[in-house]
Amino acid sequence: MSRNSLVFGFGLAVALLAGWVAFPRALYSKRPQPVEFLHKTHAEKSGITDCAQCHAFRDDGEFAGLPANDTCAGCHSDHIGTTATEATLVDHYIKSGQETPWLVYSRQPANVWFSHAIHVRRAGLACADCHGSYGDSDQVRVYEVNRISGYSRDIWGHSMSRLDRAAGDGMKMSDCEDCHRRRGIEVGCLGCHQ
Amino acid sequence: MKVTRRDLFVWGAGAAAGMVFSPVPWKLLDDVSIWTQNWPWIPQPPHGPIEVKQSFCTLCPQGCAMKVKMAGGCPVGVAGVSGNPVTRGALCPLAFGVHQLNWHPQRLRAVRHKRVSSSWSEARAAFAKACGEGPIVIVDGRPGSAASSVLASFAEEQKGSYRVALSLETRALLPYEAMVSPVIPASALGYDLERAQTIVSFGAPLLDGWGIPGRFTRLWSERAAGMSEPQLRLIQIEDSLSRTATRAWRWVAIRPGSKNALAAGLARVLVEEHLVSARGPLSALTVSDAALQTNLSESAIRDLARTMVAKPPVLAIAGDERPEIAALNFILGSVGSPGGIVRRSKPTEKYELANAAIPNARAVLIDASVPWDYAPPTDAEIFRFAAWDGGSNRADWLLPAPGFLEEFTDVNSAPTSAVETYGVAPQLTKPMFEIHSAAQFLSAIDSSFTNPETIIHQRCADLFRERAGTVYGQEIMPVAELDSAQKFEAELSKAALWVADAPKSASLLCELKEWPSTSPAESPRNWSAAWAAAVLPPLATKLYRESSLREAPDRRTA
Ligand code: SF4
Repeated sequence: MSRNSLVFGFGLAVALLAGWVAFPRALYSKRPQPVEFLHKTHAEKSGITDCAQCHAFRDDGEFAGLPANDTCAGCHSDHIGTTATEATLVDHYIKSGQETPWLVYSRQPANVWFSHAIHVRRAGLACADCHGSYGDSDQVRVYEVNRISGYSRDIWGHSMSRLDRAAGDGMKMSDCEDCHRRRGIEVGCLGCHQ
Repeated sequence: MKVTRRDLFVWGAGAAAGMVFSPVPWKLLDDVSIWTQNWPWIPQPPHGPIEVKQSFCTLCPQGCAMKVKMAGGCPVGVAGVSGNPVTRGALCPLAFGVHQLNWHPQRLRAVRHKRVSSSWSEARAAFAKACGEGPIVIVDGRPGSAASSVLASFAEEQKGSYRVALSLETRALLPYEAMVSPVIPASALGYDLERAQTIVSFGAPLLDGWGIPGRFTRLWSERAAGMSEPQLRLIQIEDSLSRTATRAWRWVAIRPGSKNALAAGLARVLVEEHLVSARGPLSALTVSDAALQTNLSESAIRDLARTMVAKPPVLAIAGDERPEIAALNFILGSVGSPGGIVRRSKPTEKYELANAAIPNARAVLIDASVPWDYAPPTDAEIFRFAAWDGGSNRADWLLPAPGFLEEFTDVNSAPTSAVETYGVAPQLTKPMFEIHSAAQFLSAIDSSFTNPETIIHQRCADLFRERAGTVYGQEIMPVAELDSAQKFEAELSKAALWVADAPKSASLLCELKEWPSTSPAESPRNWSAAWAAAVLPPLATKLYRESSLREAPDRRTA
């Protein structure tokens, strides 16, 4: 092999390594959730089996998103354990009346009009189809924020190439388009961007 | 081993090739484009609960019902309300970006006097001084609203004059004022489109922004679209193949400027061939004169007249103020009859029009509901309320008014509506700076006036007392079934719509003494003339300007 090929190959390898390994680490920073919330523990200990028990729909069919502290206070109005997380939740948020500032993995720009009611009730999608099997997790997922765009890593998905993603990993506009295309459902620009 | 300059170049080429096959350029491109949406000077709604509230669009007199998506208390999106019986879920294309208008760069944020920054107290003092020095004129764009009562009472108290700038569709109804008795102002008349079977449009853009968005388009899609023998026949008389003309059952292409001649020719055929029961009056124009002017053959005019009456009720609609079309409707027997021109509300006083001469006025106050391009024919000092600064304007004072959903207000029947409606648009968002409506401004000068909120409460109570009509909210409820005035008002405050019972068209008497001689000068016929906001929302600009969704404003004369 000629010297030129070797040097060229070395440059190529360094760039590939930097691009695929170092770049993702540099691009995302990790942030802790304000409270360590475990979906699995809640499902097992309090018999919550349906996502909609906490992530409810309002009477008018709109999705209420994350439950407010009132919902948590149903059980956690006072300490029901001795963990530091319990103390933070009860003392810092519930008793002080301050809403827990959850870092939302699936937060989209405010100009995206997404109706959970249409997707869940009419199209019959499961929560995990878009959010992954997060409801079964027994540990708090790390919230990784993109240093440039400010959105969570869940939007791009965990695979940098986006080629080998698990179902429900990634929430880019192209993911919505793919799903709509597969199901033959047409929506114009104004369907989502209003 | 010695590293040469060549090695560095070759290494660089390898690294560049490697970069192309790494996610770096592609991911950076995506992230940077998202980053540009988050620049600090781009307004971002606060984080907070996402809710959907209901209200009405108050940017033009149509007052369409809309669902407003709110994020942390800020409107971030709008959609139509399918359960609303008037709009039936439709909004105009402009409205889809209406929530962006409050942050528009041309938003008026402070009082300006002769384009220089001033204050509310100075503006109030200047107006109070003007009131003491001579007659004032107050111009309103939405007569009949609670705020209008304040404006009219103030003008009366000051021995000034209250004028109205009517929407284009209402101006097209002005010629009927002289025809019907008891006297009914154009703003209390409407078109009974739902019962008409043949509609002859003289250039009215019925499928392209005329009247309430969704009313005629839905009717047309249910009863005419794609049918070779439609239940509703739309005949479009127009010199160019407009969007309405392309979809109409028949397009009658005539020479520009000959609509009046055609109306006169059609009336003559209708009477001479005993196709209608009316016997006149008729224009001096013969059918052959009309044929000459319109570039149609005599037989085409005769055929058109026969086709018009083949499927009654038939209604002629003008795109602007055109007494000849009103006279044609009289000949057709369509004034005051089902499927024609109907009275939708009780007779009220006639309004003085804004474009009439304003002699000797000391000051003119223009409400924000008046379209920006209205210029009062006077040299008086002008106090102009507006939420957006639309550019050059003769106003001495520019006074920032509430923008989208920034005030509690009421919404009256839309200009072309055949039934009376009443709604209350709740204030959904807090203003970002000191703003006042013209009614609030006048109430602050003379506190003896009842404020618009109290007038709205009174109107709700009055409507409830009559026990008539139906409320369209989350549920449809006849007013007679509601327990109390409070419940009625509570429903309306959540942007439910009160709709009166069917119009009483039979009680209209009409008379036409002679065929009108000339039409007044043509007014702009496009939808944009009715848009009260001086600016377009960015989204509408993109959709409208780049996709040519609608025709550009057209000021041709016909
Ligand atoms: S027609 Fe007028 S009231 Fe209706 S949505 Fe458009 S701007 Fe708003």
